[in-house]
Amino acid sequence: MTLRRRLDGGAVWAVTGLASLCLAAILGVCGYVLVRGLGAFWPAPVVELSLRDGSVHLGEVVAWDDGFLVLRESETERVGAHYRRVARGDIAREARPDDAVSLQGADGRRLFVRGGEDPAPAVVVESLRPNVLSTLDRVGVTLARAARFVTGGATGSPWVGGMFPAIAGTLLLVMLMALFVVPLGTATAAFLHLRKGRAARLVRGAVATLASVPSIVYGVIGLGLFVHGLGRALDQWFHAAQQPVPVFGSGGLLWAALTLALLTLPVFVTSVDQGLSRLPRSLEAGSLALGATREQTLRMLLLPAAWPAMLTGLMLAVARACGAVAPLMLVGVVELAPALPLDGEFPYLHPSRQFMHLGHAVYDAAMANPDPFRGVSRAFAAAALLLAVVLVLNFVAMVLRDRLRERYRALDD
Amino acid sequence: MPVSPRHSGSLAARFPVARRPRGDRWVTWVVTAAAVLVLACLAVIPLFLAGSLLIRDTGAPDWSRLGLLAMDGLRATVCAMLVALPLGFAAAGVNGLAARRLRGVLRGLFELFGAVPTVVLGLIAVAALAPWLARHVASLLAVQVAIPAVLMAAGFAFGVSERGARWRVAWMAPLVVALAAAGLMLADRTDVILIRPGSPWNAILVGFALGLAAVPVVFSIADDALAQVPGSRVDAALALGATRWQAFATIAVPAAAPGLAAAAMLGFSRCFGETMIVLMASGNTLVGGFDPTRGLRAPGAELALGMPDASVRGADWHDLLLAALLLFVVAVAIHLAADVLRGRLRRRGEARQ
Repeated sequence: MTLRRRLDGGAVWAVTGLASLCLAAILGVCGYVLVRGLGAFWPAPVVELSLRDGSVHLGEVVAWDDGFLVLRESETERVGAHYRRVARGDIAREARPDDAVSLQGADGRRLFVRGGEDPAPAVVVESLRPNVLSTLDRVGVTLARAARFVTGGATGSPWVGGMFPAIAGTLLLVMLMALFVVPLGTATAAFLHLRKGRAARLVRGAVATLASVPSIVYGVIGLGLFVHGLGRALDQWFHAAQQPVPVFGSGGLLWAALTLALLTLPVFVTSVDQGLSRLPRSLEAGSLALGATREQTLRMLLLPAAWPAMLTGLMLAVARACGAVAPLMLVGVVELAPALPLDGEFPYLHPSRQFMHLGHAVYDAAMANPDPFRGVSRAFAAAALLLAVVLVLNFVAMVLRDRLRERYRALDD
Repeated sequence: MPVSPRHSGSLAARFPVARRPRGDRWVTWVVTAAAVLVLACLAVIPLFLAGSLLIRDTGAPDWSRLGLLAMDGLRATVCAMLVALPLGFAAAGVNGLAARRLRGVLRGLFELFGAVPTVVLGLIAVAALAPWLARHVASLLAVQVAIPAVLMAAGFAFGVSERGARWRVAWMAPLVVALAAAGLMLADRTDVILIRPGSPWNAILVGFALGLAAVPVVFSIADDALAQVPGSRVDAALALGATRWQAFATIAVPAAAPGLAAAAMLGFSRCFGETMIVLMASGNTLVGGFDPTRGLRAPGAELALGMPDASVRGADWHDLLLAALLLFVVAVAIHLAADVLRGRLRRRGEARQ
C-alpha cells in the first residue's frame, strides 16, 4: 500500500467516524429523551436501608452516584421535604421487602409503608406493591400513569396534575395560528407563482430572510408591536371602562398566535412554493391552452393539485410552533393558567386570555420546580411528549412531500 | 371541417381569452396584498427595533452591556461551532460518498433532527449533561481529540478498500460509539480532574448542546453544495484513476467551497440567535472574556429574561430592543452574505455543466 493510499485511509476513517459519532449523538438524544420520559412513570422499587447507626429507612432511590444515594422517604408533611442523602458506606443492609406499599396521595405526596401498617390519612390515588409487580404489571402501571399525565388537568401544585391544559393551549394556539398562516402563506406562494421576475425574486428573498431571523426577535416584535401597540390601542377603544387593567394590552392567545404566524410563515410559504413548482408544466399548459386565465388555472387547478404541499407546510409550521418557546415567553405563555382560553362561557373562545404551552411546560418543570427530582422527571415526560408530536408531524410531512414528488414524476419525464 | 360560428361563439363565451374576466381580478389583488404584507413585515422589524435608538429619551444606551452580551454570545457560538462544524461537515462528506439508499436515509434523519425543539436539547444539557460534564471536562476533551486520532491511525494502518466503501458508515457507527463509550468509561475510572470549570453551566456545556442544534443546518447546506458539484467532473477524476476519496477531496470539496463556507456561516447565525439552550444551560450571568469554563449570558437569553419585566419605553426596554436589533442585523447580514456565496456556487455549477 502506498503512503498516499494510507493517508487517504486515515482521512476516510476520520470523516466516517465523526459522521458516525454525529448520528449516534442524534439518535442518542432522541432515544434518551423518550426513555427518560417514559421512565418517569416506571414504578420504582421500594428499598429498606438499615444504616450502621441502627436506623431503618424505607423509600425509593431517586438519584445515586459512586459515593452517595438520595432516598425519598414517606412524605408525611409535604412534598419534597423528606429526601435523605445516604453515604453508601453507612448502609449495613439493603432489602426490598415484598410487603412494602407505595402510595400516591392526591396532593402529590408519596408515602411508603410496610404491609401491616395503616396508611397515612390522605386521599390516595394510587396504591401498589412495586417490589412484587411483574414486568407486565409494571408496564401497565407506567402506561396508566402516562395516560393520567397526558389527560390530567392542572391543579396549581407543581407536582400533581397533567399536561392537558398545556396540550389544549398548544392546540388552540396552533389552530388560531393556522387561521392566519394558511391564507396569507397560500396567497404569498400564489404570488410567487404568478409573478416571475424581479417582484417574485424580491418576495422570495424576503421570505428566506424572515426565516433566518432568530425566533426571540419575533417575540420582541410580538410584545412591542402587538401587545403594547395594538393591544393597548384596542383597550383604549373598546375597554376604556376597565382601564388600567389590561385586556388585550397584556400577553394572550391572540398575540401569541399572531407572533407564531409571523415565525412560521416562511416555513409554510416555502413548502407551498416548492409544491407548486413541482407540479408538471404540462398541467398548467393544458389549462392555459383550454383558454383559462393564469389566475383561474392557479385557483382551480394548481392550488388544489398542490394540497399535499399545503398540508406539508401546515404540519411543518405546527411542529415549529409546538417547539417555539422563546418567543411565547414574551407574549403570554404562563406556568399555570387559571382557565382554558376555550370554555362554555360566551364568546367561548377568549383570545385575550393567557395560556399554557407544552414546550414551555418543559422549560418550567426543569427550571422552576421547587422539587428538582420531580421537576426533572416531569420535564422529561413533557419533553418526550413534545418530541413525539414534533417528530411524527415532521415525518408525516416528509412522506407527504415525497409522495407529491413521486406522483408527478411520471408526467414530468 | 368548418367550425360552425355558433359553436365557436359559445366556446369563446365560456373561456374568454382576450379579456381578463372581471371575476378573476380579486385573485390578483389578494395575492399582491399578501406579498406586500410579507415585505412590510420584513421592513417593520428593523424599523421598530432601530426606532428605539432614534426616539429614546432615557439617556444614552448601555453600550458596554451590549458589548458584553455580544461577547458572551460569541463565546457560546464559537464553542458550538467547534462541535457543529466537524460533525456537520463529516456527515455531509459521508453523505456524498455513501450509497444512494443510505443517502436518503441520512438526509431524512438530519431533517428530522433539525426539527427537534431546542427546549428539549436545553433540557438534556441542563439535566443530564451538566452534572456529568462538571467533573469530566478534561476526559471529554481528551476523548474528543483521541477519537479522530485513533480513527486516522486505524485508517493509516488498514487503508481503505473501494469495495464496501459505500456502506462504511453503517458498520462503523457502532464501532465508534463503543470506542467513545470505552474511552469515557476509562476516563471515569481514572477520575482525572485537570480542568475545573468555574460553574457547572459553562460555555463548553452550551457549546455541546448548541453545536448539536446547529449540526442539521450545517449538514443540509453543505450537502446541497456538494450535490451541486457536476457529477461529470467527479466521474472524470475516477476515470483517470483517482480513488473515490481523492476525487471527493480534490474535486468536489474545492468546487463546493463557497457552499461549505455558507454552511458554516448559517450554522454560526443559528447558534448566535438561539435562545432556549443558552437560557437553560448557560447560567445566565454576564461574564465577558474568552474563558470557556465560565458561564455566560447570551443576547437571546437576555431578551427572554428581561423583556417581560422591562417597563415599556424605559431605559431597559430600549436597551433590550437594541440587543434584539443586534440579533436581527447579525442574522440578516449573515443570511445575505451566505446567499451571495450560494448564488455564486449555483451559477458556477450551471456554467460548467
